[in-house]
Amino acid sequence: MNKPLKLLSMAALASTMLATATLGVQAGGVLRLDEVAVGELDPAIASDYADSILMFNVYDTLVLPAQGGPGHVPHLAESWEGDGTSFTFKLRNDVKFVSGNLMTAEDVVFSLERMKAMGKGLSYLFANVEKAEAVDDSTVKFTLTNAYAPFVASLVRLPIVDKTTVMANLGDGEGEMKDWGSAYLTAQSAGTGAYKIVSHNPQEETVMEKNADYFLGVPDPAPDTARLRYGLEAATVRTLIAQGEHDIASQWLPPEVIKALAANGAQTLTESGTGAFYVKMNTTKPPLDDVNCRMAFAKAFDYGAAVKMIAVTDEVSQGAAATGAIPVGMFGANSADQVIERDLEAAKQHLAECKYSPEDFTLEISWIAEVPLEERFALLMQANYTELGIKSEIRKMPWALFAEQVSKPENTPHMSQLFVNAVTGDPDTLLYGMYHSSAAGTWQSPEYLKDAEVDKLLDAGRTAATPEGRQEAYAALNARLMELAPTIYGYDRQSVFAASDRVKVPALSDPSKAFGLDGMGFTFRLMEVAE
Amino acid sequence: MNPLARLLAKRLATSLIVLIGVSMLIFAIARIIPGDPARIALGPNATQEQIANLRAELHLDDNIVVQYGYFIADVARGDLGISLYTNRPVTADIALYLPATLELVLVAGIMMVGIGLPLGIWSARWRGRAADNLIRLVSLLGVSAPSFVWAVILMLLFAFYLPLFPIAGRISDSYAIAPVTGFLLADTLIQGDLRAFGNAAWHVVLPAFALALSGIGQAARLTRANMVETYDKPYIEMAQSYGFPARRIANRYAFRPSLIPSLTIIGLDFAAMLGNAFLVEAIFAWPGLSRYGVAVILRKDLNAIVGTVLIISATFLLVNIIVDLLIALLNPRIRYSQRPA
Repeated sequence: MNKPLKLLSMAALASTMLATATLGVQAGGVLRLDEVAVGELDPAIASDYADSILMFNVYDTLVLPAQGGPGHVPHLAESWEGDGTSFTFKLRNDVKFVSGNLMTAEDVVFSLERMKAMGKGLSYLFANVEKAEAVDDSTVKFTLTNAYAPFVASLVRLPIVDKTTVMANLGDGEGEMKDWGSAYLTAQSAGTGAYKIVSHNPQEETVMEKNADYFLGVPDPAPDTARLRYGLEAATVRTLIAQGEHDIASQWLPPEVIKALAANGAQTLTESGTGAFYVKMNTTKPPLDDVNCRMAFAKAFDYGAAVKMIAVTDEVSQGAAATGAIPVGMFGANSADQVIERDLEAAKQHLAECKYSPEDFTLEISWIAEVPLEERFALLMQANYTELGIKSEIRKMPWALFAEQVSKPENTPHMSQLFVNAVTGDPDTLLYGMYHSSAAGTWQSPEYLKDAEVDKLLDAGRTAATPEGRQEAYAALNARLMELAPTIYGYDRQSVFAASDRVKVPALSDPSKAFGLDGMGFTFRLMEVAE
Repeated sequence: MNPLARLLAKRLATSLIVLIGVSMLIFAIARIIPGDPARIALGPNATQEQIANLRAELHLDDNIVVQYGYFIADVARGDLGISLYTNRPVTADIALYLPATLELVLVAGIMMVGIGLPLGIWSARWRGRAADNLIRLVSLLGVSAPSFVWAVILMLLFAFYLPLFPIAGRISDSYAIAPVTGFLLADTLIQGDLRAFGNAAWHVVLPAFALALSGIGQAARLTRANMVETYDKPYIEMAQSYGFPARRIANRYAFRPSLIPSLTIIGLDFAAMLGNAFLVEAIFAWPGLSRYGVAVILRKDLNAIVGTVLIISATFLLVNIIVDLLIALLNPRIRYSQRPA
């Protein structure tokens, strides 16, 4: 062997030995999960699922959703009282930020003002908050411009930031508050959460570790370190879980991959009750401006086939049969046994009563290019409506194009498929944006529904002073929406996560511990991870 | 002026013009892609008011020429704007992601040269024999499938069924390497952590090999074809008739003139790998600029699209300049053609 070749061989051997010695690193108290990129750390910008996981772990809110049922429980707050337009919260006095600063009412006021001033993320939830004031160090009062019953529910989306730390780290910007500390908070946390940031790369991974000074304490079995990885491909996640190098996959894995992982021993975790799959009908466009035609399409849709298409295993599915416009578990929802079923005869009858004849139109069924599952539903609808003698064409639309086109009724397709969730877990954040006349023309409301009765009931739902009053308003709304059929209520959505057996996540496996808020099941301090 | 310096100056001047052209083109194209960047950036729950505010902040309601003016003014200050995808300065994102991609592409490039050229030489030297046929077959396989197909195959074979290599990332979770250059192979060495270096090297093998396979095949095939042609030249016949050793003839007399066309193609392949790296980065969860580039295009993140394309174009141009200089070094005719008349 000549000299260069010898050297090359020796180098290769040495690097092989070095590398193999470093492989097979034990996980030990580390939780590894993934979500779609990017992870946003600034509470005033955070809005999607990955951001929610970060927020619920590195920040805290005044209240939390009650586990296993409706309502909210105090968290950073000790108690609260309100009369519909003003709410006063008494705060705990033993909560410290990761900086060591004590949390006070000033921080709560600052957090709200910051979110409203920046006008990003979920700030619209607080549009009707006229002012927030610190009555004293441990009392904060919110005054609303008008009665808004879901206000307390909205507070689960107001992470409290450390005013002192943010003010010390203002970046470039105009005015007294410059950038409101956004440059700082997109890279670090200034919260009170059970976990603190070790490192954050928005496209790759956020590493968090236990906050030893957390005001509620963090149980020992909870992960010492959590690694939230971003943008992993399905094939990569499948291989990582199979090799024991990943713990919880995101909900975006294709059903067949979750099925394959489950067949190999992975457990399936679920989260439900906050949203649904809807096929939205443009009520301004013939023939969908006739309620009988809409009813015909709603009755002809094969709900059973749709639910089978999303089944992961015999026991677990990515959705349950819908019972109406409101997912089971929310105010106003029908009971779980009142499922909507296909009725072809009724569909034919409605079609006969419709002022348009099937020969007069071609139905345009759109699907969002980024959600391949929707193509299957489009094909299902095409097959269903062919049985009624209706011609249809399927149109694939990238999300960006869809969001732009639905801003005008004439550009909005006949049928648009959408997954919609209640961002606070309250039906107001699910339904108001979809069905109120004032909300028409957004991605959530391609129905362009204009109905005074629906508007009245939506307003009643957000202003009713008691839970009973809200229940009544939303039940009536549900019935009205079934009569008007602006939407085909496809199925109640359930997110399914494949997970290794070294993690226990009660909030995603035991209905009595579930939160009813997207992402909150990933509260790491309530999980257990085997060493 | 030295002919090489003259060549370098010429290439740098033309590169600058190309970069300005690219910036105009990509600036216009990014604004033609369907979808409102403000609406996409703010997410599905954004209100009309939020969208209008962000559009005003980004000058999206202004004429495209005015927008380009703002862009150039910012670039002159070294500011590529804020990414709507990560909410961070584009320059910070590029600084974070570019080294990962460059590291991957550099290792792939080394594999392409270190494996492709020797394969081509051996194939030409033993042309018509079994070794030649085998190398040609392997080269053809390398060229005929895209990188992402190789990435999946290699992952299945050597990470899933035969778990010899890691599946994802640049280094195992147990290592915390403080970034100095951003190149993990370099940073681990700078910090004197050989185990971490070995771990990082082991992580880069599969993705780099998947990325390099096509180039390896191309380099081998091209080198073989050029050398076979050179072997028919009279000076090679003369060397053979003098009884020079076959290895010396191959390496010294046949290979060097055959290297010039191969080098041009290798240069182009190397630069093209920057773009091709996307799917390999996605499959191996490699946090690089190619993956970032595609993500920002899908989200119509205007500042990041322009910034990423400009950086990739600049790297492409830089590689081409280096190749041109190498060719000029190897070929005196090109070098001396740069002298003033």
